[in-house]
Amino acid sequence: MLDALYELIGGWASQGYLPSIFEHTFMIRGMLAAMLIGPLLGGVGTVVVTKKLSFFTQTIGNGALSGVAIGLLFGEPVEGTFAGLYGFCLIVALLMTFVKNRSRLSNDTVIGVVLAQVLGFGIFMLVVVTNNFNIHQVEGILFGSLITLTDNDLMALAVASVVVGLLFCFIFNRIMLVAFNPILAKARGLRPVFLEYFFIVLMTIVVVASLKLIGALLVLVLIVVPAAGAQNIVNNLRQFVWVSIVFSTISTTVGLLLSALFPIPSGAVIVLVSSLLFYGTLMLKPLFGKSGIQQGQV
Amino acid sequence: MQTLTADKKPLSLNNDPAGVNLLEIEDLSVFLGGNQILKNINMVVKKGHIHALIGPNGAGKTTLMRSIMGGMPHQGIIRFLFRSNSLIGYVPQLLEFDHSVPITVCDFLSIMLQEKPIFLTGSRSIRKKISEILAITESEHLIDRLIGGLSGGEFRRVLLAQALEPLPEILLLDEPASNVDEYGAMLFEQMLNRLRDEHGLTILMVGHDIKMILRLADRVTSINRKVMFDGSPDELKGPGKVAELFDGSMATSTDNVEE
Repeated sequence: MLDALYELIGGWASQGYLPSIFEHTFMIRGMLAAMLIGPLLGGVGTVVVTKKLSFFTQTIGNGALSGVAIGLLFGEPVEGTFAGLYGFCLIVALLMTFVKNRSRLSNDTVIGVVLAQVLGFGIFMLVVVTNNFNIHQVEGILFGSLITLTDNDLMALAVASVVVGLLFCFIFNRIMLVAFNPILAKARGLRPVFLEYFFIVLMTIVVVASLKLIGALLVLVLIVVPAAGAQNIVNNLRQFVWVSIVFSTISTTVGLLLSALFPIPSGAVIVLVSSLLFYGTLMLKPLFGKSGIQQGQV
Repeated sequence: MQTLTADKKPLSLNNDPAGVNLLEIEDLSVFLGGNQILKNINMVVKKGHIHALIGPNGAGKTTLMRSIMGGMPHQGIIRFLFRSNSLIGYVPQLLEFDHSVPITVCDFLSIMLQEKPIFLTGSRSIRKKISEILAITESEHLIDRLIGGLSGGEFRRVLLAQALEPLPEILLLDEPASNVDEYGAMLFEQMLNRLRDEHGLTILMVGHDIKMILRLADRVTSINRKVMFDGSPDELKGPGKVAELFDGSMATSTDNVEE
Protein backbone atom coordinates (compact mmCIF):
# COMPACT_ATOMS: atom_id res chain seq x y z
CA MET A 1 0.00 0.00 0.00
CA LEU A 2 2.80 2.36 0.88
CA ASP A 3 4.58 1.49 -2.35
CA ALA A 4 1.62 2.77 -4.32
CA LEU A 5 1.81 6.02 -2.38
CA TYR A 6 5.52 6.35 -3.05
CA GLU A 7 4.98 5.80 -6.76
CA LEU A 8 2.24 8.40 -6.82
CA ILE A 9 4.25 11.06 -5.06
CA GLY A 10 7.40 10.16 -6.96
CA GLY A 11 5.38 10.63 -10.11
CA TRP A 12 4.29 14.11 -9.08
CA ALA A 13 7.90 14.97 -8.33
CA SER A 14 9.19 13.87 -11.68
CA GLN A 15 6.45 15.90 -13.34
CA GLY A 16 7.56 18.99 -11.48
CA TYR A 17 4.57 19.42 -9.12
CA LEU A 18 6.82 18.68 -6.19
CA PRO A 19 10.53 19.26 -5.60
CA SER A 20 12.62 16.60 -7.33
CA ILE A 21 13.96 15.21 -4.07
CA PHE A 22 10.61 13.52 -3.61
CA GLU A 23 11.50 11.13 -6.34
CA HIS A 24 13.46 9.42 -3.61
CA THR A 25 11.40 7.14 -1.43
CA PHE A 26 13.34 7.89 1.71
CA MET A 27 12.41 11.55 1.42
CA ILE A 28 8.75 10.73 1.07
CA ARG A 29 9.00 8.56 4.13
CA GLY A 30 10.83 11.29 5.95
CA MET A 31 8.20 13.86 5.08
CA LEU A 32 5.39 11.59 6.17
CA ALA A 33 7.24 10.98 9.42
CA ALA A 34 7.78 14.71 9.84
CA MET A 35 4.08 15.41 9.37
CA LEU A 36 3.13 12.75 11.88
CA ILE A 37 5.66 13.51 14.56
CA GLY A 38 5.59 17.32 14.29
CA PRO A 39 2.16 17.87 15.86
CA LEU A 40 2.84 15.32 18.58
CA LEU A 41 6.06 17.01 19.62
CA GLY A 42 4.38 20.38 19.73
CA GLY A 43 1.44 19.17 21.76
CA VAL A 44 3.46 17.20 24.25
CA GLY A 45 5.91 20.07 24.47
CA THR A 46 3.35 22.38 26.05
CA VAL A 47 3.03 20.05 29.01
CA VAL A 48 6.77 19.35 29.21
CA VAL A 49 7.51 23.07 29.41
CA THR A 50 4.79 23.67 31.99
CA LYS A 51 5.89 20.75 34.14
CA LYS A 52 9.53 21.66 33.68
CA LEU A 53 10.47 18.26 32.33
CA SER A 54 12.93 19.47 29.69
CA PHE A 55 16.00 18.04 31.32
CA PHE A 56 14.13 14.87 32.10
CA THR A 57 13.25 14.44 28.44
CA GLN A 58 16.90 14.59 27.48
CA THR A 59 17.61 11.58 29.66
CA ILE A 60 15.05 9.52 27.83
CA GLY A 61 16.67 10.46 24.57
CA ASN A 62 20.06 9.47 25.93
CA GLY A 63 18.65 6.07 26.74
CA ALA A 64 18.36 5.40 23.04
CA LEU A 65 21.90 4.10 22.72
CA SER A 66 21.30 1.49 25.38
CA GLY A 67 17.92 0.74 23.89
CA VAL A 68 19.43 -0.03 20.50
CA ALA A 69 22.16 -2.15 22.08
CA ILE A 70 19.69 -4.15 24.11
CA GLY A 71 17.50 -4.63 21.07
CA LEU A 72 20.49 -5.94 19.13
CA LEU A 73 21.32 -8.21 22.03
CA PHE A 74 17.91 -9.77 21.75
CA GLY A 75 18.30 -10.32 18.06
CA GLU A 76 16.33 -7.42 16.68
CA PRO A 77 17.37 -6.10 13.28
CA VAL A 78 19.74 -3.13 13.31
CA GLU A 79 17.21 -0.81 11.78
CA GLY A 80 14.29 -1.91 13.87
CA THR A 81 15.20 -2.35 17.51
CA PHE A 82 11.69 -1.40 18.60
CA ALA A 83 11.40 -3.52 21.69
CA GLY A 84 14.82 -2.55 22.96
CA LEU A 85 14.24 1.15 22.39
CA TYR A 86 10.73 1.44 23.70
CA GLY A 87 11.38 -1.03 26.50
CA PHE A 88 14.56 0.51 27.83
CA CYS A 89 13.49 4.12 27.44
CA LEU A 90 10.20 3.42 29.19
CA ILE A 91 12.03 1.74 32.05
CA VAL A 92 14.41 4.66 32.40
CA ALA A 93 11.56 7.16 32.29
CA LEU A 94 9.41 5.38 34.85
CA LEU A 95 12.35 4.71 37.16
CA MET A 96 13.40 8.32 37.06
CA THR A 97 9.89 9.50 37.82
CA PHE A 98 9.79 7.13 40.74
CA VAL A 99 13.14 8.36 42.06
CA LYS A 100 12.15 11.98 41.48
CA ASN A 101 9.03 11.57 43.58
CA ARG A 102 10.70 9.67 46.38
CA SER A 103 14.13 11.18 46.65
CA ARG A 104 15.19 14.15 48.70
CA LEU A 105 17.75 15.15 46.13
CA SER A 106 16.70 17.99 43.90
CA ASN A 107 15.25 16.98 40.56
CA ASP A 108 18.13 18.69 38.86
CA THR A 109 20.66 16.52 40.64
CA VAL A 110 18.85 13.26 40.08
CA ILE A 111 18.43 13.92 36.41
CA GLY A 112 21.98 15.15 35.99
CA VAL A 113 23.29 11.96 37.53
CA VAL A 114 21.13 9.67 35.43
CA LEU A 115 21.62 11.63 32.22
CA ALA A 116 25.35 11.02 32.08
CA GLN A 117 25.11 7.47 33.34
CA VAL A 118 22.60 6.45 30.73
CA LEU A 119 24.67 7.89 27.91
CA GLY A 120 27.88 6.24 29.12
CA PHE A 121 26.12 2.96 29.68
CA GLY A 122 24.67 3.15 26.22
CA ILE A 123 27.99 3.61 24.49
CA PHE A 124 29.47 0.80 26.55
CA MET A 125 26.59 -1.54 25.73
CA LEU A 126 26.72 -0.73 22.06
CA VAL A 127 30.42 -1.48 21.80
CA VAL A 128 30.03 -4.71 23.76
CA VAL A 129 27.12 -5.91 21.70
CA THR A 130 28.47 -4.98 18.29
CA ASN A 131 32.09 -5.80 19.12
CA ASN A 132 33.34 -2.58 17.66
CA PHE A 133 32.77 1.11 17.91
CA ASN A 134 30.88 2.04 14.81
CA ILE A 135 30.79 5.80 14.85
CA HIS A 136 28.22 5.98 12.07
CA GLN A 137 25.81 3.88 14.02
CA VAL A 138 26.24 6.05 17.07
CA GLU A 139 25.98 9.17 14.96
CA GLY A 140 22.79 7.92 13.43
CA ILE A 141 21.22 7.33 16.81
CA LEU A 142 22.31 10.64 18.25
CA PHE A 143 21.59 12.87 15.28
CA GLY A 144 18.96 10.99 13.31
CA SER A 145 19.36 8.77 10.28
CA LEU A 146 16.69 9.38 7.77
CA ILE A 147 18.11 6.83 5.36
CA THR A 148 17.40 4.02 7.81
CA LEU A 149 13.77 5.01 8.25
CA THR A 150 11.81 1.96 7.15
CA ASP A 151 8.20 1.34 6.29
CA ASN A 152 7.92 -0.44 9.62
CA ASP A 153 9.07 2.69 11.36
CA LEU A 154 6.45 4.68 9.49
CA MET A 155 3.67 2.28 10.38
CA ALA A 156 4.78 2.29 14.00
CA LEU A 157 4.84 6.07 13.91
CA ALA A 158 1.37 6.25 12.43
CA VAL A 159 -0.04 3.97 15.07
CA ALA A 160 1.79 5.81 17.83
CA SER A 161 0.52 9.14 16.52
CA VAL A 162 -3.08 8.07 16.60
CA VAL A 163 -2.88 6.36 19.97
CA VAL A 164 -0.80 9.02 21.68
CA GLY A 165 -2.81 11.79 20.06
CA LEU A 166 -6.08 10.41 21.36
CA LEU A 167 -4.75 9.71 24.83
CA PHE A 168 -3.15 13.12 24.98
CA CYS A 169 -6.45 14.79 24.20
CA PHE A 170 -8.08 12.64 26.82
CA ILE A 171 -5.78 13.65 29.67
CA PHE A 172 -4.75 17.11 28.60
CA ASN A 173 -6.97 19.13 30.89
CA ARG A 174 -6.10 17.04 33.90
CA ILE A 175 -2.38 16.87 33.32
CA MET A 176 -2.31 20.63 32.77
CA LEU A 177 -3.95 21.15 36.13
CA VAL A 178 -1.44 18.80 37.76
CA ALA A 179 1.36 20.66 36.01
CA PHE A 180 -0.03 23.94 37.27
CA ASN A 181 -0.20 22.82 40.89
CA PRO A 182 -0.47 19.20 42.07
CA ILE A 183 -1.97 20.08 45.45
CA LEU A 184 -4.84 21.91 43.85
CA ALA A 185 -5.33 19.04 41.40
CA LYS A 186 -5.53 16.62 44.30
CA ALA A 187 -8.04 18.85 46.08
CA ARG A 188 -10.24 18.59 43.01
CA GLY A 189 -10.20 14.82 43.10
CA LEU A 190 -7.48 14.11 40.54
CA ARG A 191 -4.66 11.64 41.01
CA PRO A 192 -1.49 13.60 40.27
CA VAL A 193 0.90 10.66 40.61
CA PHE A 194 -1.02 8.40 38.24
CA LEU A 195 -1.47 11.19 35.71
CA GLU A 196 2.21 12.01 35.83
CA TYR A 197 3.23 8.43 35.10
CA PHE A 198 0.65 8.26 32.33
CA PHE A 199 2.02 11.38 30.72
CA ILE A 200 5.62 10.20 31.06
CA VAL A 201 4.70 7.05 29.13
CA LEU A 202 3.10 9.12 26.35
CA MET A 203 6.10 11.41 26.23
CA THR A 204 8.54 8.51 26.03
CA ILE A 205 6.64 7.03 23.12
CA VAL A 206 6.81 10.37 21.29
CA VAL A 207 10.54 10.71 21.98
CA VAL A 208 11.38 7.21 20.79
CA ALA A 209 9.18 7.57 17.71
CA SER A 210 11.04 10.70 16.64
CA LEU A 211 14.55 9.33 17.08
CA LYS A 212 15.22 8.39 13.48
CA LEU A 213 14.06 11.72 12.21
CA ILE A 214 15.71 13.99 14.74
CA GLY A 215 18.12 11.96 16.82
CA ALA A 216 18.44 11.33 20.52
CA LEU A 217 20.59 14.33 21.25
CA LEU A 218 18.29 16.81 19.59
CA VAL A 219 14.79 15.51 20.18
CA LEU A 220 14.62 17.54 23.37
CA VAL A 221 14.93 20.69 21.31
CA LEU A 222 11.83 19.89 19.30
CA ILE A 223 9.85 19.25 22.42
CA VAL A 224 10.86 22.41 24.21
CA VAL A 225 11.63 25.09 21.65
CA PRO A 226 8.30 25.27 19.75
CA ALA A 227 6.40 25.45 23.04
CA ALA A 228 8.81 28.04 24.38
CA GLY A 229 8.40 30.10 21.25
CA ALA A 230 4.65 29.83 21.46
CA GLN A 231 4.76 31.07 25.01
CA ASN A 232 6.25 34.32 23.79
CA ILE A 233 3.34 35.28 21.63
CA VAL A 234 0.14 33.65 22.88
CA ASN A 235 -2.47 34.84 25.33
CA ASN A 236 -4.27 31.72 26.42
CA LEU A 237 -3.97 27.97 26.68
CA ARG A 238 -5.78 27.15 23.46
CA GLN A 239 -3.44 29.35 21.44
CA PHE A 240 -0.49 27.93 23.34
CA VAL A 241 -1.22 24.39 22.18
CA TRP A 242 -2.03 25.24 18.56
CA VAL A 243 0.86 27.62 18.01
CA SER A 244 3.24 25.11 19.54
CA ILE A 245 1.91 22.42 17.19
CA VAL A 246 2.23 24.70 14.17
CA PHE A 247 5.80 25.67 15.10
CA SER A 248 6.94 22.10 15.65
CA THR A 249 5.32 20.87 12.43
CA ILE A 250 6.90 23.68 10.42
CA SER A 251 10.22 22.81 12.03
CA THR A 252 10.05 19.15 11.12
CA THR A 253 8.69 19.55 7.59
CA VAL A 254 10.60 22.63 6.45
CA GLY A 255 13.69 21.40 8.28
CA LEU A 256 13.51 18.10 6.46
CA LEU A 257 13.09 19.79 3.09
CA LEU A 258 16.09 22.02 3.71
CA SER A 259 18.20 19.11 4.93
CA ALA A 260 17.83 17.52 1.52
CA LEU A 261 19.83 20.41 0.11
CA PHE A 262 22.80 20.02 2.42
CA PRO A 263 24.78 17.02 3.58
CA ILE A 264 23.70 17.64 7.15
CA PRO A 265 21.64 15.22 9.24
CA SER A 266 17.97 16.12 9.17
CA GLY A 267 17.90 16.54 12.94
CA ALA A 268 20.32 19.44 12.92
CA VAL A 269 18.46 21.38 10.24
CA ILE A 270 15.11 20.76 11.92
CA VAL A 271 16.55 22.13 15.12
CA LEU A 272 17.87 25.20 13.32
CA VAL A 273 14.46 25.94 11.84
CA SER A 274 12.81 25.64 15.23
CA SER A 275 15.43 27.96 16.70
CA LEU A 276 14.80 30.54 14.00
CA LEU A 277 11.11 30.43 14.79
CA PHE A 278 11.86 30.89 18.46
CA TYR A 279 14.08 33.92 17.97
CA GLY A 280 11.50 35.27 15.58
CA THR A 281 8.89 35.15 18.33
CA LEU A 282 11.25 36.91 20.71
CA MET A 283 11.55 39.78 18.28
CA LEU A 284 7.84 39.87 17.57
CA LYS A 285 6.90 39.69 21.22
CA PRO A 286 6.36 43.44 21.67
CA LEU A 287 4.00 43.42 18.69
CA PHE A 288 1.73 40.92 20.38
CA GLY A 289 1.27 43.26 23.31
CA LYS A 290 2.09 40.80 26.01
CA SER A 291 0.46 42.29 29.02
CA GLY A 292 -0.57 40.82 32.24
CA ILE A 293 2.35 38.59 33.02
CA GLN A 294 4.67 40.10 35.55
CA GLN A 295 7.26 38.03 37.29
CA GLY A 296 7.12 37.84 41.01
CA GLN A 297 3.45 38.58 41.58
CA VAL A 298 1.44 36.14 43.59
CA MET B 1 -23.70 17.59 43.26
CA GLN B 2 -25.20 21.01 43.46
CA THR B 3 -24.23 24.02 41.50
CA LEU B 4 -24.04 27.36 43.14
CA THR B 5 -24.95 30.49 41.29
CA ALA B 6 -25.03 33.99 42.58
CA ASP B 7 -28.75 34.42 42.88
CA LYS B 8 -30.12 30.93 43.34
CA LYS B 9 -30.11 28.68 46.35
CA PRO B 10 -29.26 25.05 45.83
CA LEU B 11 -32.39 23.00 45.66
CA SER B 12 -31.48 20.69 48.46
CA LEU B 13 -30.59 23.35 50.97
CA ASN B 14 -30.51 21.52 54.22
CA ASN B 15 -32.58 22.71 57.12
CA ASP B 16 -30.73 20.59 59.61
CA PRO B 17 -30.34 22.19 63.01
CA ALA B 18 -26.96 23.73 63.67
CA GLY B 19 -26.04 20.97 66.05
CA VAL B 20 -25.10 18.45 63.37
CA ASN B 21 -21.48 17.41 63.17
CA LEU B 22 -19.85 17.46 59.78
CA LEU B 23 -16.22 16.78 60.61
CA GLU B 24 -14.89 15.05 63.68
CA ILE B 25 -11.22 14.95 64.58
CA GLU B 26 -10.19 12.56 67.33
CA ASP B 27 -6.77 12.38 68.94
CA LEU B 28 -5.00 13.54 65.83
CA SER B 29 -1.23 13.54 66.00
CA VAL B 30 1.14 14.32 63.16
CA PHE B 31 4.88 13.81 63.07
CA LEU B 32 7.09 15.38 60.44
CA GLY B 33 10.79 14.67 60.27
CA GLY B 34 10.93 13.48 63.85
CA ASN B 35 9.08 16.48 65.26
CA GLN B 36 5.60 16.29 66.64
CA ILE B 37 3.68 19.02 64.84
CA LEU B 38 0.23 18.16 66.18
CA LYS B 39 -0.54 16.43 69.47
CA ASN B 40 -3.87 14.86 70.31
CA ILE B 41 -6.07 17.31 68.50
CA ASN B 42 -9.75 16.89 69.27
CA MET B 43 -12.16 19.06 67.40
CA VAL B 44 -15.62 19.07 65.86
CA VAL B 45 -16.84 21.22 62.98
CA LYS B 46 -20.59 21.63 62.86
CA LYS B 47 -22.65 21.90 59.72
CA GLY B 48 -23.42 25.43 58.61
CA HIS B 49 -20.80 26.95 60.88
CA ILE B 50 -17.92 29.19 60.15
CA HIS B 51 -15.28 27.59 62.31
CA ALA B 52 -12.10 29.55 62.83
CA LEU B 53 -8.75 27.94 63.52
CA ILE B 54 -6.28 30.26 65.13
CA GLY B 55 -2.86 30.09 66.71
CA PRO B 56 0.61 31.58 66.47
CA ASN B 57 2.93 30.92 63.56
CA GLY B 58 4.25 27.39 63.55
CA ALA B 59 1.33 26.12 65.60
CA GLY B 60 0.45 23.48 63.03
CA LYS B 61 -2.63 25.07 61.49
CA THR B 62 -1.62 24.43 57.89
CA THR B 63 -0.56 20.90 58.82
CA LEU B 64 -3.99 20.33 60.30
CA MET B 65 -5.62 21.61 57.12
CA ARG B 66 -3.45 19.35 55.03
CA SER B 67 -4.27 16.37 57.20
CA ILE B 68 -7.95 17.02 56.66
CA MET B 69 -7.32 17.25 52.92
CA GLY B 70 -5.72 13.86 53.01
CA GLY B 71 -2.37 12.53 51.97
CA MET B 72 -0.68 13.36 55.24
CA PRO B 73 0.29 10.41 57.43
CA HIS B 74 -1.25 10.81 60.83
CA GLN B 75 -2.34 9.03 63.98
CA GLY B 76 -5.87 9.40 65.21
CA ILE B 77 -9.12 9.70 63.33
CA ILE B 78 -10.45 12.27 60.90
CA ARG B 79 -14.09 11.47 60.30
CA PHE B 80 -16.21 13.06 57.60
CA LEU B 81 -19.92 12.82 58.20
CA PHE B 82 -21.10 13.49 54.72
CA ARG B 83 -21.53 11.76 51.36
CA SER B 84 -18.36 10.05 50.28
CA ASN B 85 -18.41 11.55 46.81
CA SER B 86 -18.60 15.12 48.04
CA LEU B 87 -15.59 17.25 47.56
CA ILE B 88 -13.79 19.32 50.09
CA GLY B 89 -13.32 22.80 48.73
CA TYR B 90 -9.80 24.00 49.42
CA VAL B 91 -8.35 27.47 49.08
CA PRO B 92 -4.68 27.39 50.08
CA GLN B 93 -2.82 30.36 51.42
CA LEU B 94 -0.05 30.09 48.91
CA LEU B 95 -0.27 28.45 45.56
CA GLU B 96 3.01 27.98 43.79
CA PHE B 97 2.85 27.96 40.05
CA ASP B 98 4.81 29.05 37.05
CA HIS B 99 3.71 32.60 36.30
CA SER B 100 4.86 32.41 32.72
CA VAL B 101 2.42 29.70 31.65
CA PRO B 102 -0.15 31.29 29.34
CA ILE B 103 -3.26 30.31 31.23
CA THR B 104 -6.16 32.68 31.71
CA VAL B 105 -8.74 32.57 34.47
CA CYS B 106 -11.17 31.17 31.90
CA ASP B 107 -8.67 28.46 30.94
CA PHE B 108 -8.02 27.67 34.59
CA LEU B 109 -11.64 26.99 35.32
CA SER B 110 -12.24 25.28 31.98
CA ILE B 111 -9.63 22.62 32.57
CA MET B 112 -11.24 21.91 35.89
CA LEU B 113 -14.78 21.77 34.70
CA GLN B 114 -14.80 20.15 31.29
CA GLU B 115 -13.70 16.77 30.02
CA LYS B 116 -13.01 17.70 26.42
CA PRO B 117 -9.50 19.02 25.92
CA ILE B 118 -9.48 22.76 26.04
CA PHE B 119 -7.71 23.16 22.72
CA LEU B 120 -10.44 21.27 20.88
CA THR B 121 -13.47 23.09 22.18
CA GLY B 122 -14.71 26.61 21.73
CA SER B 123 -14.74 28.72 24.82
CA ARG B 124 -18.20 30.11 24.27
CA SER B 125 -20.12 27.19 25.71
CA ILE B 126 -18.33 27.07 29.00
CA ARG B 127 -17.67 30.76 29.24
CA LYS B 128 -21.16 31.61 30.41
CA LYS B 129 -20.96 29.06 33.16
CA ILE B 130 -17.53 30.28 34.22
CA SER B 131 -18.81 33.84 34.34
CA GLU B 132 -21.55 32.79 36.71
CA ILE B 133 -19.10 30.95 38.93
CA LEU B 134 -16.75 33.92 39.04
CA ALA B 135 -19.66 36.20 39.87
CA ILE B 136 -20.02 34.52 43.26
CA THR B 137 -16.71 36.02 44.30
CA GLU B 138 -17.13 39.21 42.25
CA SER B 139 -14.39 38.25 39.83
CA GLU B 140 -16.16 38.00 36.47
CA HIS B 141 -14.08 40.87 35.18
CA LEU B 142 -10.98 38.73 35.58
CA ILE B 143 -12.13 36.06 33.16
CA ASP B 144 -9.64 36.82 30.39
CA ARG B 145 -6.77 37.88 32.58
CA LEU B 146 -3.70 35.71 32.69
CA ILE B 147 -3.42 33.96 36.04
CA GLY B 148 0.24 34.92 36.27
CA GLY B 149 -0.73 38.59 36.23
CA LEU B 150 -3.34 38.62 38.96
CA SER B 151 -2.75 40.29 42.28
CA GLY B 152 -2.83 38.28 45.48
CA GLY B 153 -6.39 39.23 46.28
CA GLU B 154 -7.64 38.64 42.75
CA PHE B 155 -6.09 35.22 42.61
CA ARG B 156 -7.55 34.35 45.99
CA ARG B 157 -11.02 35.26 44.72
CA VAL B 158 -10.56 33.05 41.66
CA LEU B 159 -9.38 30.19 43.86
CA LEU B 160 -12.40 30.63 46.08
CA ALA B 161 -14.66 30.54 43.03
CA GLN B 162 -13.16 27.27 41.83
CA ALA B 163 -13.44 25.77 45.30
CA LEU B 164 -17.17 26.41 45.22
CA GLU B 165 -17.80 24.58 41.98
CA PRO B 166 -19.19 22.00 42.52
CA LEU B 167 -20.51 23.12 45.86
CA PRO B 168 -18.51 21.30 48.53
CA GLU B 169 -19.76 20.01 51.86
CA ILE B 170 -17.03 21.90 53.63
CA LEU B 171 -14.77 24.71 52.53
CA LEU B 172 -11.24 24.90 53.90
CA LEU B 173 -9.73 28.37 53.77
CA ASP B 174 -6.14 28.89 54.73
CA GLU B 175 -5.58 32.54 55.68
CA PRO B 176 -8.11 33.93 53.23
CA ALA B 177 -7.46 37.55 54.08
CA SER B 178 -3.67 37.57 54.19
CA ASN B 179 -1.80 39.47 51.50
CA VAL B 180 -5.03 41.23 50.62
CA ASP B 181 -5.92 44.88 51.06
CA GLU B 182 -8.64 46.08 53.41
CA TYR B 183 -11.29 46.39 50.75
CA GLY B 184 -10.53 42.87 49.58
CA ALA B 185 -10.71 41.58 53.14
CA MET B 186 -14.08 43.24 53.62
CA LEU B 187 -15.39 41.72 50.41
CA PHE B 188 -14.21 38.35 51.56
CA GLU B 189 -15.96 38.69 54.85
CA GLN B 190 -19.22 39.62 53.15
CA MET B 191 -18.84 36.68 50.79
CA LEU B 192 -18.23 34.22 53.59
CA ASN B 193 -21.26 35.52 55.44
CA ARG B 194 -23.40 35.09 52.35
CA LEU B 195 -22.11 31.62 51.74
CA ARG B 196 -22.96 30.55 55.25
CA ASP B 197 -26.26 32.38 55.67
CA GLU B 198 -27.76 31.97 52.24
CA HIS B 199 -26.24 28.72 51.08
CA GLY B 200 -25.65 26.85 54.30
CA LEU B 201 -22.00 26.26 53.54
CA THR B 202 -19.73 24.97 56.29
CA ILE B 203 -16.40 26.76 56.43
CA LEU B 204 -13.23 25.95 58.31
CA MET B 205 -10.86 28.82 58.10
CA VAL B 206 -7.40 29.54 59.38
CA GLY B 207 -7.09 33.20 60.21
CA HIS B 208 -5.15 35.86 62.03
CA ASP B 209 -7.53 38.77 61.84
CA ILE B 210 -9.09 38.52 65.27
CA LYS B 211 -11.74 41.14 64.72
CA MET B 212 -12.92 39.48 61.54
CA ILE B 213 -13.02 36.19 63.37
CA LEU B 214 -14.99 37.62 66.25
CA ARG B 215 -17.52 39.01 63.78
CA LEU B 216 -17.73 36.01 61.55
CA ALA B 217 -17.04 32.80 63.39
CA ASP B 218 -19.57 30.57 65.08
CA ARG B 219 -16.86 28.68 66.84
CA VAL B 220 -13.15 29.15 67.42
CA THR B 221 -10.45 26.58 68.04
CA SER B 222 -7.00 27.72 68.99
CA ILE B 223 -4.08 25.38 68.63
CA ASN B 224 -0.43 25.50 69.43
CA ARG B 225 0.53 21.94 68.65
CA LYS B 226 -2.36 20.93 70.85
CA VAL B 227 -5.77 22.44 71.41
CA MET B 228 -5.48 25.51 73.65
CA PHE B 229 -9.04 26.74 73.40
CA ASP B 230 -12.21 25.49 71.79
CA GLY B 231 -15.42 27.41 72.19
CA SER B 232 -17.63 30.23 71.00
CA PRO B 233 -16.02 33.53 69.97
CA ASP B 234 -17.86 35.35 72.76
CA GLU B 235 -15.66 33.60 75.25
CA LEU B 236 -12.71 35.30 73.63
CA LYS B 237 -14.03 38.78 74.15
CA GLY B 238 -12.23 39.65 77.26
CA PRO B 239 -9.04 41.46 78.14
CA GLY B 240 -5.92 39.34 77.86
CA LYS B 241 -7.64 36.26 76.49
CA VAL B 242 -6.74 36.95 72.89
CA ALA B 243 -3.14 37.80 73.68
CA GLU B 244 -2.73 34.36 75.18
CA LEU B 245 -3.78 32.70 72.00
CA PHE B 246 -2.04 34.88 69.44
CA ASP B 247 1.40 36.35 69.40
CA GLY B 248 1.56 40.05 70.13
CA SER B 249 1.80 41.29 66.53
CA MET B 250 -1.77 40.27 65.73
CA ALA B 251 -3.37 42.99 67.81
CA THR B 252 -2.05 45.79 65.58
CA SER B 253 -3.61 44.51 62.38
CA THR B 254 -7.09 44.87 63.77
CA ASP B 255 -6.77 48.40 65.12
CA ASN B 256 -8.32 50.16 62.18
CA VAL B 257 -11.11 47.70 61.45
CA GLU B 258 -14.44 48.97 62.64
CA GLU B 259 -16.50 46.93 65.10
